Amino acid sequence: MNQIDRVLAALLWLLGVLAIAGITHIVAVFALPEIAAKDTYARISELAKPGQLTILPPPRPDKQVTPFADPAMVQSVCPFDLSQGGLRLHTDVEGGRLLTFSFRTSAGQGFYSMTDLAAQQGKIDVVVLTAAQLEVVEAEDDEDDPSQDLRLVAPEPRGFVIVSALAVYQSDRADAEERVKSVICAVEQVAQD
Amino acid sequence: MSLGTAIAMKRGYPAHATILVKFLSAGCIGVLLGLFVTLVVVERGKGFGAIAAGPWTGWPRNGTSDIDPYTRAILAYSGEISLSESEGMSFVAHGDSNGAEFDPACDYALKGEIPSARYWTLTLLSPAGAPITNTAGRPGFTSSEVLRASDGQFEITLSRHARPGNWLPIGDTSKFILVLRLYDNELGAPAAALDAASMPRLVKSRCE
Repeated sequence: MNQIDRVLAALLWLLGVLAIAGITHIVAVFALPEIAAKDTYARISELAKPGQLTILPPPRPDKQVTPFADPAMVQSVCPFDLSQGGLRLHTDVEGGRLLTFSFRTSAGQGFYSMTDLAAQQGKIDVVVLTAAQLEVVEAEDDEDDPSQDLRLVAPEPRGFVIVSALAVYQSDRADAEERVKSVICAVEQVAQD
Repeated sequence: MSLGTAIAMKRGYPAHATILVKFLSAGCIGVLLGLFVTLVVVERGKGFGAIAAGPWTGWPRNGTSDIDPYTRAILAYSGEISLSESEGMSFVAHGDSNGAEFDPACDYALKGEIPSARYWTLTLLSPAGAPITNTAGRPGFTSSEVLRASDGQFEITLSRHARPGNWLPIGDTSKFILVLRLYDNELGAPAAALDAASMPRLVKSRCE
């Protein structure tokens, strides 16, 4: 082996290292949300059961459910598992006070969101379904009396809904909690074929 | 077995071992390097699709399904649940309008326009996203709480020590960031057109 051979061999080795590093990096970036999804859903499932709305504790310096949470927001979470049926959300909206709904996959990625401004006649009625459940529900629709529900198809069977209300003053917190608690989040049975 | 083959076998064994060592070392070092780069990117990176307006940085697409794999990995790693599209948008500032990182020993003034939104909140957090304790028990301001002049203008003073007017205590910390959330705003896609003039300025005043 002369000098040039050695340099070429070293270069080839370096190229191999870089190629493997690149592949590892790409795989890790794509795998991370999948790994973290189980973690996020597991953390939320510890706090709340599917079809049950649970208020998250306010963020504290030593403990937060999620980082970067807004301390002025009262947040609650309602996990869903559509294999047990659809998820129904219902609330009556009081004028002018911020209430937000954010529909997430188990990884925490949003697939729909709305605020109280989207209410129809002071009410919000949302049903989260799988594509198959939507077909069943649509087949049962009464054409003369169309449903007022907003039907959402979730991209995956498991996920969660975050319902938040803003406490515009610190003293408003109890009131914001009441507004969140008044939201009904329940499993809705869908007839299976 | 001829003598020639025996010599070739004797030579071949260490040559194979060297190649195996080279392959294994390239594999191990490559995997470690790839993981290290990923860790640096998710800890330090901003992802694509970030928009900067003066000292503020926002991610208009974070809450939607239309995000790039890097941003998705960064969000998954931090565990942050960012605001969805209709909820609003959040902006983070790590330093003042001159580009200098926040120093808790200094006073800062937040003044100027805030883009129109139904409500906004301004929160002081640690760089990791945890609230910081302060004696006044005030984590931030909401658009309703802030005291305004008769023309609707306002100024928020960030300081360790009590200040008149809208005082946001910095608390006992070595580093902090500011998060401005615009709830139910009408930014959405036009957020990309935000510039420094449409966002509040952060001006450093005296330091201890």
